[in-house]
Amino acid sequence: MSRPTSTASMSADPRAVAGLEGWPPPALDPAGPFAEPVSVLSWVLLAMGGAVLLTVLLALGLALFGPRRWRRRLGGPWLVWIGGLAFPVVVLSALLIYGLSLTGVLSQAPAPGEMRVRVTGEMWWWRVAYLNADGREVMQDANEVHIPVGRPVVFELDAADVIHSFWVPRLGGKRDMIPGRRNVLRLQADAPGVYAGQCAEYCGGPHALMGFVVVAHTPEAFEAWRAQRAAPARAPVGPLAMRGAEVFASAGCGACHTVRGSVANGLAGPDLTHVGSRRTLGAGILPNNRGTLAGWISDSQAIKPGNRMPAYPVLQGRDLQALAAYLEGLR
Amino acid sequence: MTLRRIPISLLDERFPTKSRRPAGELPELEEIWCRPKGWGWFTAINNNFVGVYYVGAAMLFFVLAGALALLMRTQLALPLNGVLGQETYNQIFTVHGTMMMFLFAVPAVEALGVLLLPQMLGARDLPFPRLSAYAFWAYLIGGLAFFASLFFGLAPSGGWFMYPPLSSSTWSPGINADFWLLGIGFIEISAIAGAIEIIVGVLRTRAPGMTLDKLPVFAWAMLIFAVMIIVAFPSVILATTLMELERALNWPFFDPARGGDPLLWQHLFWFFGHPEVYIIFLPAAGAMSTIIPAVARTPLVAYPLVVLAMLATGFISFGVWAHHMFTTGMPRLSINVFSAASMAVSIPAGIQVFAWIATLADGRPRFTTTGLFIIGSVIIFTMGGLTGVMVAMVPFDWQAHDTYFVVAHLHYVLIGGMVFPMFAAIYYWLPMVSARPLSERLGRWVFALMFTGVHVTFLPMHLTGLMGMPRRVYTYLPGRDWELPNLISTLGAFIFGIAVALWIFDMIRNFRPFGDREAGDLHQSPGLEWVPAGLYSLRSIPIVKSLYPLWDQPDLKADVVAGRYLLPGSAMGGRETILTSAIEAEPQALLRMPAPSPWPIWAAVFTAGFFLLLTVQAYAACVVSGVLGVYCIMQWCWSLDLPVEAEVAHIGGHIRVPTYVAGPAGHGWWAMVITLIVAAMVFVMMAFSYVFLWSRNPAIWSPPPAHGVLYVGIGLYAGAALAALTACRLARLGRACARWSVAGLVLAADLVAGAWILDFQAWRDAGLRGEASAHGAIVYAFLVWQSLFVGVAALMAIYAILRLFFGLVAPERPTTGDLIGLFLIYSAGQGGASMLITHLFPGA
Amino acid sequence: MNGRATSPWRMGMMAALIAFLSACSDKSRPARQIAGADPSRGLELIDQVGCGACHVIPGLAWPQGRTGGSLEGFGERPLIAGRFPNQPGTLVAWLRDPPSLSPNTAMPPTPLSEAQARDVAAYLYSLDER
Repeated sequence: MSRPTSTASMSADPRAVAGLEGWPPPALDPAGPFAEPVSVLSWVLLAMGGAVLLTVLLALGLALFGPRRWRRRLGGPWLVWIGGLAFPVVVLSALLIYGLSLTGVLSQAPAPGEMRVRVTGEMWWWRVAYLNADGREVMQDANEVHIPVGRPVVFELDAADVIHSFWVPRLGGKRDMIPGRRNVLRLQADAPGVYAGQCAEYCGGPHALMGFVVVAHTPEAFEAWRAQRAAPARAPVGPLAMRGAEVFASAGCGACHTVRGSVANGLAGPDLTHVGSRRTLGAGILPNNRGTLAGWISDSQAIKPGNRMPAYPVLQGRDLQALAAYLEGLR
Repeated sequence: MTLRRIPISLLDERFPTKSRRPAGELPELEEIWCRPKGWGWFTAINNNFVGVYYVGAAMLFFVLAGALALLMRTQLALPLNGVLGQETYNQIFTVHGTMMMFLFAVPAVEALGVLLLPQMLGARDLPFPRLSAYAFWAYLIGGLAFFASLFFGLAPSGGWFMYPPLSSSTWSPGINADFWLLGIGFIEISAIAGAIEIIVGVLRTRAPGMTLDKLPVFAWAMLIFAVMIIVAFPSVILATTLMELERALNWPFFDPARGGDPLLWQHLFWFFGHPEVYIIFLPAAGAMSTIIPAVARTPLVAYPLVVLAMLATGFISFGVWAHHMFTTGMPRLSINVFSAASMAVSIPAGIQVFAWIATLADGRPRFTTTGLFIIGSVIIFTMGGLTGVMVAMVPFDWQAHDTYFVVAHLHYVLIGGMVFPMFAAIYYWLPMVSARPLSERLGRWVFALMFTGVHVTFLPMHLTGLMGMPRRVYTYLPGRDWELPNLISTLGAFIFGIAVALWIFDMIRNFRPFGDREAGDLHQSPGLEWVPAGLYSLRSIPIVKSLYPLWDQPDLKADVVAGRYLLPGSAMGGRETILTSAIEAEPQALLRMPAPSPWPIWAAVFTAGFFLLLTVQAYAACVVSGVLGVYCIMQWCWSLDLPVEAEVAHIGGHIRVPTYVAGPAGHGWWAMVITLIVAAMVFVMMAFSYVFLWSRNPAIWSPPPAHGVLYVGIGLYAGAALAALTACRLARLGRACARWSVAGLVLAADLVAGAWILDFQAWRDAGLRGEASAHGAIVYAFLVWQSLFVGVAALMAIYAILRLFFGLVAPERPTTGDLIGLFLIYSAGQGGASMLITHLFPGA
Repeated sequence: MNGRATSPWRMGMMAALIAFLSACSDKSRPARQIAGADPSRGLELIDQVGCGACHVIPGLAWPQGRTGGSLEGFGERPLIAGRFPNQPGTLVAWLRDPPSLSPNTAMPPTPLSEAQARDVAAYLYSLDER
């Protein structure tokens, strides 16, 4: 008799994690220096837009319903010269200078020594690789990026198939991932937390279900996380997980997936070395626990139609359960 | 046949005429322009029929695409809703965008031009009525086929912008994406045809005295619109051609693995796509500037400034395309330039908005349904413009790009800038073509619901976007607080839907076109289009002295109707109007117009058939349809350049004008030159693509064939141009020489074909293959483009031989030969230029 | 975490949604009663745990997994997984740890606590055949 061994905490539900709500609007709720000035700019623009709209509505109201004297005064070419030409030229020039200087500040080239993460957009998930100082990939992950707070992180953005767009609204603007090009985006989180990300460029099929999270840690927590992640996969513990590891090998999962420390070294799908510790499954859409793992493996097409993982109707119930247990244990 | 100047002062002395008009004159006009019977409704070509069909079809597509929007809003009303499946939703949003942009917005404003321009300009019809009919039918058939693809699950699902590599055959196998290219193909044809029609119509068939400073703003807007189409559409013609070549032949223009670049598509698409927005907006703004004086009972304030603003919009709009690409990682300098231009383009829009407000203040506005839609448009468009300034700010765009904020922005701009003006125009001008006006009482409801619907739908979307919701998602997860704004948006969409349904109901109840009488002007308007007219348009063509002729020339209406102005009947017994000079609007010649004919519609059917069958890969049937299409077009042209009974015609007031003009004064020459400008623009964009692809991957460029080929090829092209030029000269020198001129044309066509074969063979021998690299792909793309001209040149040569054979070649009628010659000279020039570029750049 | 409280807006929305859904499914004769359990909380848990990855569950729009069979009309089913009598006690035990009852089942243990499993069971019992 085994008591419930699934220990995934309930807060692993992607939709219940603090930081993923839409209110206050993430684009106006900055959490780092690359989002902060944009949010200020947004408020300035909203305020100015509102003021101009009020002015136009006032002019229109006066033109239609105003006292005769006022209307006659409004109804001349001067209104067009002032309202249509002079005023916009002044305001837009000021805004332009503001915008251009801000663009410059936000798109400064990365400094040497900044932490680098390569994120590759794939249909319809995110391949994540942490780079060392030489630019070599040292650690693979998927659909989750862990960063330390308080310093800029350089994201190298690639695309494997079609165009995707990498966007974490609370940390900064988006940048497209374009096949054949490599874009660079710097982001920084000032406080630990989980920040929602989303593919912003339509990439076909289940583009709507292509989310991810950025998890920001304090520097110490980040180092601890890194040390834990750098280790190869844990050996399965207990008969069920060991059976699961056998199923993993015999079902051919390793053709597409890598589990570092085992023979599985496929590259087509997400790296599963530490899949059990991810917050979500299926690119930010499902909670990650043994049950959802089983459902996903068995028939992910029913959950995320069109995704690249085929259904596995050949697994026996017990094997499926064992497989889920094994994967959940890969922490 | 030199043209004699007929100054307006001379006309002023003679018109309005005093004598009574002969009794038979009006019945003859009515007979010539009579209402069609039976199948004749399909073969009608004059603008008061085709124009109404055209507007009707555009509004049909608006309603269909709107219904798709309601389906989408239903799906998005709740998170993880299951009303539409993923693939279905993706197809529907693609078709919604494509139809609204290509099958509704552009054709709708173009249709408005076709319907209104002749009467506004004081012409009997547009100069190429058969071309309008052809463009309309090709558009209708193609558009319906495109829409129907949804029902077979064959609709494209790559978005209306169809970015590769998603739209490549790797990621979009199946013929769905080809259906998109098909739909776009038809709108390319009909837009270019319409642009030719409108440019020649506005510049060459204005009423005498209507100099450019007296040109109604709507006509100005249509002129700028047409010129913008000529400049912008070639870019999308090229883009779609390249994409179809990549899909069909595996030529890697956009495939980075073989040296292509997906961003090439984005540049080409948006170089068309952003001016497209102004292509849609300008005619609608022109309509606003034309309607507002009537609604406010006072002339437009700052007319010259408004016209200048429209011209400025046209120019600046070609410098803003890359603001759709701020997130692609462009160099900072280009980002800044495009940001500045994108902000600058809002200035002319502001000028127009304030001119409208000033005009409303200056006059005594009437709150008719038309007036309400005008006011609604000003408010909605201003809001869209302001969010436009926001997204022109690059850092803000990095956040807002590809979110619902942009969805809100673009719908505010397009609904305020085009849909509301369109409805204002419908309520304003409908009494011109219908026996009954639309109901004012219902109209107020339509307006109120539509205005409410727009804001309820799209205002919350600004917030949804800032809350992080990306565009083009078929569903969204709960727990991000996106539920409430989405539910509200859905509610608003249905309010909008009810407004449209109410309008349709009113149209069914009250719209009675093609009758003997019209409801007439409800606003005491100033434009010529409100002179009472029959199916023949104006009874006589007036001399215009003011921007607002019906306000400033009190007797004009009565005199025109009584036939006291030019061309009071039919001079030669057929359909005619007056050809005037482009700047001064002085009468130059009688423009004889073709009679209704079934050939244009058959040509449209077979053109549509050709592309449709090609799309479904029924190649044999496709070839048959293509051959039949060419046959129909030749039949249609056959009746155009026939012998004329008399060299001069009387157009009233003892004024005599020639009945046939050739060369630069003729309208056919203008049309051919405009067509060739389109071709040249495609060529320029191709050269841009060539350099762009090279700059991305210079390493894959292989050496060109030996230069000997280049010298021979250039020699052949030069010979072709010389032969064609000589042929045009010969054609005028007498009957015998005219026959030899045909030989010259045939020789020129042969030389063009020969040079093409030489060039093609040289590249094959050099080992370059289209599928091997982007270099091969773009070189063969040049050759494919040139092969189109070789093919058309061959058909033209056959046509010239047929005309010779049937004895139609005569020195007094050189137009057909001129136009063929012009085409051949251009083809030779283009062939030579493409050889120079591909052989010499970037050098061995 | 950063201690952001769940927004009131969000809570209100959820409550309204659940009230709406349970109004639809809460027909007059619940087959089996579970004292003190809250069916609407049960649906919330079903969503959070991701039961939909394997099951079609009325009231849950997505996902609608096909691995474990539909739970439509579960309240009137005589058996659980075709093997065990459909009684509250059995169901709650099953929901927490199915393999302990049936080692060959594909359904793994879930992260539900006893109280949570009772809520989920209460929701499942509210599903009748219509």
